[in-house]
Amino acid sequence: MKALLSALGYALVNIFETLIRVLPVPCRTGLIKIGNPGKDAPVILTCNYHLTVERMKRALKGMNAYLLIANSRGINVWCAATGGHFTNHDVISVLKTSGIEGLVAHRYVILPQLAATGIESKPVFLKAGWRIVWGPVYAKDIPAFLNSRQGMPDPEVTSKNFSVPGFMRKGLEKSAVMRTVDFGIVQRTEMAVSWAFPFSLIAGLIMLFVWRSGVAFTVVLIWAVSFVIFLFFPLYARLAGDKKKAPGLSRYTVLFDFNRASLGLSAAFILLVAGYGLLTGNFSTDFMLHAGILTLIIVLLLNLDLMGSTPLYKSGLHEDRLLKITIDESRCKGAAFCEDVCPKHCYTIDRESHLASIPRSDDCVQCGACIVQCPFDALFFTSPSGMIIPPETIRRFKLNTLGKRLVDTAGKTAVS
Amino acid sequence: MSTYVLMKILESTPDRYDRGIRMLTLGMVDRAYDRLAAHINKGEHVLDIGCGTGALTLRAASKGALVKGIDINAGMLEIAKKRLLDAGFAQNAGFSETGVAELGDETAGSYDVIMSGLCFSELSEDELAYTLKQANRLLKPGGLILIADEVVPGGVFRKIFHWLFKMPLMIITYIVTQAGTRAVRDLPKKVKENGFSIESVWFNRIRDFIVLAGRKPE
Repeated sequence: MKALLSALGYALVNIFETLIRVLPVPCRTGLIKIGNPGKDAPVILTCNYHLTVERMKRALKGMNAYLLIANSRGINVWCAATGGHFTNHDVISVLKTSGIEGLVAHRYVILPQLAATGIESKPVFLKAGWRIVWGPVYAKDIPAFLNSRQGMPDPEVTSKNFSVPGFMRKGLEKSAVMRTVDFGIVQRTEMAVSWAFPFSLIAGLIMLFVWRSGVAFTVVLIWAVSFVIFLFFPLYARLAGDKKKAPGLSRYTVLFDFNRASLGLSAAFILLVAGYGLLTGNFSTDFMLHAGILTLIIVLLLNLDLMGSTPLYKSGLHEDRLLKITIDESRCKGAAFCEDVCPKHCYTIDRESHLASIPRSDDCVQCGACIVQCPFDALFFTSPSGMIIPPETIRRFKLNTLGKRLVDTAGKTAVS
Repeated sequence: MSTYVLMKILESTPDRYDRGIRMLTLGMVDRAYDRLAAHINKGEHVLDIGCGTGALTLRAASKGALVKGIDINAGMLEIAKKRLLDAGFAQNAGFSETGVAELGDETAGSYDVIMSGLCFSELSEDELAYTLKQANRLLKPGGLILIADEVVPGGVFRKIFHWLFKMPLMIITYIVTQAGTRAVRDLPKKVKENGFSIESVWFNRIRDFIVLAGRKPE
C-alpha cells in the first residue's frame, strides 16, 4: 500500500511538473541521506530543481550514499549551469555548509556531467578541497556507473588527511551511452506537453472572452500542433534549416524564431483556414474574427523558438550555434576531460600519442563544457568570421549571453 | 531546456535587481541602509556580505570606511564597481566574487564592521548558520555586525497579515525581475546564539523588516 501511494505520488509530481516545465521549481538545498551511508559512501551532488531531486532519489533507491542539493535557483542542471545560475559558488557552498565534511573520510564529489558547462573543478578544489568526478548524464545510470570496475587509473589522493574511498579505488568507467544526451520519444513528448500546456492555458483564457464556443477546439488544436511538431522534430529541424548562416531578424525577437519551417507551416495553416472559408462560403464578420484570432495563436505557437528549447538543437536567436569547436594540438595533452564531459560523444582520444581529436565535430551542440573543463586551455570556439572566443570568456560569461557578447566584445576579442 | 524561456528574461536580471528590490520593500530599503550606515566611522575596515549592486557599500565608503564587498553575482559586482567609480569612492572599496561559504579563507579578527543588506534572506539555513559563525570569527573584539533584511514576523496575526500583504508584491516582483527573497526566521536569536550582544533592533510597523546591530564582546 505504501509503495503504491509513493508510486502514485511520484507519477503525479512528474505529470504536474512536466506541465509547468517552463517555470523553475526550487526545493530545499542541503544534505539528504540515502540508505545508511558510512564514511566511505559516495557523495553525489545535484541541482535544486524539484523534479530532478525527486528523480534522483528514485534512481538512488537501495544505495547507501549522500545526496547534496545545491542552489540552482530551481532550474534544471544543464540550463542553470550553462546560463550562469548554477556556479562554483553554489557547489562550494553546499560542500562547506551542509556538514558533509564531517560525515565522510574522503573528498570526492560526483556531479552530473551536464553541470560541466558552468562548474569548474579547479576553484572547487582550491577553495573547498574537493575533487569533482563527472557522473553520467542521466540519474538512472548512477548505480551502474558506481559499480563499473574498469577504465580510469588509480585516482589521485586528495590530501594526506583523507582516504580514497572504495568506489574511487576500483576506478569508475562511464560508457559512451552514459555520457550522451538523447532526445528520444519520451523527452520529445515531455517537451510537447511543456509547450502545449502553458500556451493552451493562455490561448484558452483569451478565447473565453472572444469566442467562447471555440475554447475547446483551440486547446485541442494547440496540443495537436505541439505533438506533431515534437514527434517529428528531426524533420522539423531539417526543414527549419538548422545550419542557416545567420539569425537575421530572429536576433531581435527574444522568444520567436522565424525560420523556413515555422513560416511554411504558418502559411499552410492560413491557406487551410482561408480554404475552409471559401469552401463553406461563410465569410461573416464572426468567422473572420474567430479564424483571425485562431490563426494568430497558431502562428505564434509555430514561430516560437522551439529549437532553442530543446537540448540538442540550437536556438535560431543567437549566433552561438554557428561557433565551431577548435583544438590547439600544441596545448593538448590528451587528458580526456573533453571526452568525459561531451554530451554528444564528439571526441576520440589517442591514448598512445596523448592527443584528443574531434572526428564528430558536426554533432557538436556548442554547450562549451569541453572548453570550460580543459585544464590546458587547448579548446576554444571560432566564429564564422574567424574570431576566437577564448576559454576564459566562456568560463566567465557562460553561454546564455553569448549572442550579445559576440557583438559587444567583437573588437577586443578579434584583436587578442 | 524549457526553463530556457525564463533564462532569456533572467539574462538581464542584474540591471533590474535594484528596481525589483525597491518594489518588494516599497522603498524601505534606502532608509534601512541609511540607518545601518550611521554606525560606520571613518577609517574602519568593513566587510559587505552579499554587496550586490553596492548600495550599502557606497554608503560605507562615502563615510570614509575601507570596504570589501563580496558577492557571487559577477554581473552585479560590475554594476557595483561602476557605481563606486561614478560616485568618486572607488579608492575606498574593493570587490571580490566570493560566496559566504568561502569566508573561511579570510583572516580572523580583520574587520571592525561586518554588514549585510538583503543577503541573509537569500541564504539557506545551513548557509546562514555558517555565515554568522564566520562573521564572529572575522570581527575584531568589540566589532559590529549590521544587518538589514526581511524577517518572518512573530505572532499568528502578524504572520497572516505579512503573507497577505507580501504575496501580491512577491508575484509582481517575480514577474518583472524574477528576483525573490525568503524572509529570515528568528534573526535576533540566531545572532545572539553566535556570540553577539544585540546593540539595537529596529522593526518596521508590520515587523517583517529588521535593522539590527550586534556587537562581538571585547
